[in-house]
Amino acid sequence: MTGTDDAPVIEVVGLRKRYGEVLAVDGISFEVRRGEIFGLLGPNGAGKTTTVEILEGLRRPDDGTVHVLGVNAAHAPEQVKQRIGVQLQTAALYPFLTVTEVLELFRSFYARSRPTEWLVQAVDLGERRHAQTRQLSGGQRQRLSVALALVNEPELVFLDEPTTGMDPQARRSLWDLVLRLRSEGTSVLLTTHYMEEAEQLCDRVAVMDHGHVLELGTVEELVTRRFRERAVHFDTLPGLDLAELGRLPQVKRAVIEDGETVLYTSDVAATIGALLARTETLGRDPENLGIRRATLEDVFLDLTGHALRE
Amino acid sequence: MSAFLTLTAANIRSFVRDRTALFWTFAFPVIFILLFGAIFSGGGTPSYSIGWVDQDGTAASALLRDGFARVPLLKLQDGSLSASLDAMRKGSLNGVVVVPKGYGAAVAAARGSSAAGAGAGAAATTGPITAGPGTVPLDVYTDPSQQTSSATIRQVVAQVVSTTNLALLGGRPILATVDRSLQTQDLSNAAFLVPGILGMALMQLGVFGAVPLVAQREKLILKRLGATPLPRWTLVGSNVVLRLLIGIGQAVLILGIGVAVFGVTVLGALWLMVAIVVLGALTFISIGYVVASFARTEDAANGIVQVIQFPMMFLSGVFFPIEIMPSVLRPVAAVLPLTYLGDALRQVMVGGSPYAPLPLDLGILSAWFVVCLAISARFFRWE
Repeated sequence: MTGTDDAPVIEVVGLRKRYGEVLAVDGISFEVRRGEIFGLLGPNGAGKTTTVEILEGLRRPDDGTVHVLGVNAAHAPEQVKQRIGVQLQTAALYPFLTVTEVLELFRSFYARSRPTEWLVQAVDLGERRHAQTRQLSGGQRQRLSVALALVNEPELVFLDEPTTGMDPQARRSLWDLVLRLRSEGTSVLLTTHYMEEAEQLCDRVAVMDHGHVLELGTVEELVTRRFRERAVHFDTLPGLDLAELGRLPQVKRAVIEDGETVLYTSDVAATIGALLARTETLGRDPENLGIRRATLEDVFLDLTGHALRE
Repeated sequence: MSAFLTLTAANIRSFVRDRTALFWTFAFPVIFILLFGAIFSGGGTPSYSIGWVDQDGTAASALLRDGFARVPLLKLQDGSLSASLDAMRKGSLNGVVVVPKGYGAAVAAARGSSAAGAGAGAAATTGPITAGPGTVPLDVYTDPSQQTSSATIRQVVAQVVSTTNLALLGGRPILATVDRSLQTQDLSNAAFLVPGILGMALMQLGVFGAVPLVAQREKLILKRLGATPLPRWTLVGSNVVLRLLIGIGQAVLILGIGVAVFGVTVLGALWLMVAIVVLGALTFISIGYVVASFARTEDAANGIVQVIQFPMMFLSGVFFPIEIMPSVLRPVAAVLPLTYLGDALRQVMVGGSPYAPLPLDLGILSAWFVVCLAISARFFRWE
């Protein structure tokens, strides 16, 4: 084994990659720790794909160093490939082979491999194991591509928008699988378009745009770094006017949206305490009281100026 | 190695399950042969044109000619030896029979002594008559590659000779047949067509290989395989092995139909045929890789392949000899690799007069192979 247990599985320092005139990746640095699920987010053309392909040993960097599992990916890509799992958005590989045949084929590429049956079960393709891959639905094909990324029992898995085209149930079961992999010690680098997916799965995320890493940290950190305030919201109560609410402790702003009163505050506890004291004097409880924070989607919009799904 | 074998097995399995691919690689050339074979083979009752070369010019030789003329299967055409052999090479005669000078004299001499030596040749009538002391050799030229006609002519000649011997001298042999082979240009149409169609099939097999290759690149399948530790030579090697196996399968099928349906005789050494099939397949596979090096999309690859394969099919002497092509097109044929593959296969399989000497055929094919290999090694992109 290369590296110790607490050494990062991915270490990128000053990575740069140019295609002709275009600087696809412009001097980025980040680490992925062993056993974490790391999300790489960004709009199309942000440089995510280029970065991931360099990490996977498919491209060489122009500048900077990239270590994957302690191995320099530019110098020894074959050594890296043996130990990582890669899932790509591809059409049916080998359309005329069955699910188990494709898995067996990929198993033959690696020095060590998981049993085919384990893989089939892991992605719920048991009932389709003898179907040719051209007969699979989009979601099933996607699940097969995830299984192919797990064939060699990798220490680090790259998942490229793994739940695209899946129904909510399949998505949920894939999330369970990813969490199970983490609990077994596998590290995961994930790119995704789904905010919910990143929020549910990722221990840390990096937001990329125009070849730069704009933000890096836990989802919580990213959100609170940009949006200090949280929203305390409840069904609008007659007898409470907005100006009065705006004067409650720590409230920065008070608005009414669709019959709902929203108080943006930097101290949820203080604001709620004062709110409840005030409503008590009215003899009523605020209904549907809740706390909302800004979402990753808001962070993303704020950082890149456009929504992630574009 | 286990990855290579598994990958090759997977490729074979994929190919066998792909009915469209199966149809184009196997049914298409078969349909071509059956169709063109049927169009070109004239049919009708067999009759053989025999060049009659009478170098003796005596009453005895005229009598012998009458004996042959009475056989309904034969049509005699008189001429000199060189003119007749020439005509046979060009295909207007199926065989040539030569009556040597001195036949008349030998008959007369034999008659004079026939009373004395009546019993001497009694045994000879039953066995095959061979040339020997006291006999006159009758040269019979046939083309061994035309198996049916060659065998029939020899049989008929032997019959006439033995009848003549019997009539002349009561069985004592005076005429002995000497079998001579003459390689003719006159391949039956099917014999001409079969190696040509095989060459065409190998050409299409290789060149059309560009299309799935580009499709695999376009659909990121090559990229996905590139993310595994599988070495690239394994990927290419396995693909080439698959195509070679298909090429050999096509050769067996096409030759089999030639032999079974059209009675084509296969002459050449097996190892040489296999070697030419392999070289031809490799050459056209490398051309396919060149196409895949420059075509960005599957549609573009398809277009380029059509532009390459369609003219080649008709300008390389697959269906008719290059000699009968318009003179402006002949230089085109002279550079096309399929011309040389077809020629090499034809020479080795069924004979016929070559377009170029065999080493030249193989040399030009190898040159195409090496150049295309170098180009694709330089320009082929995995993504």
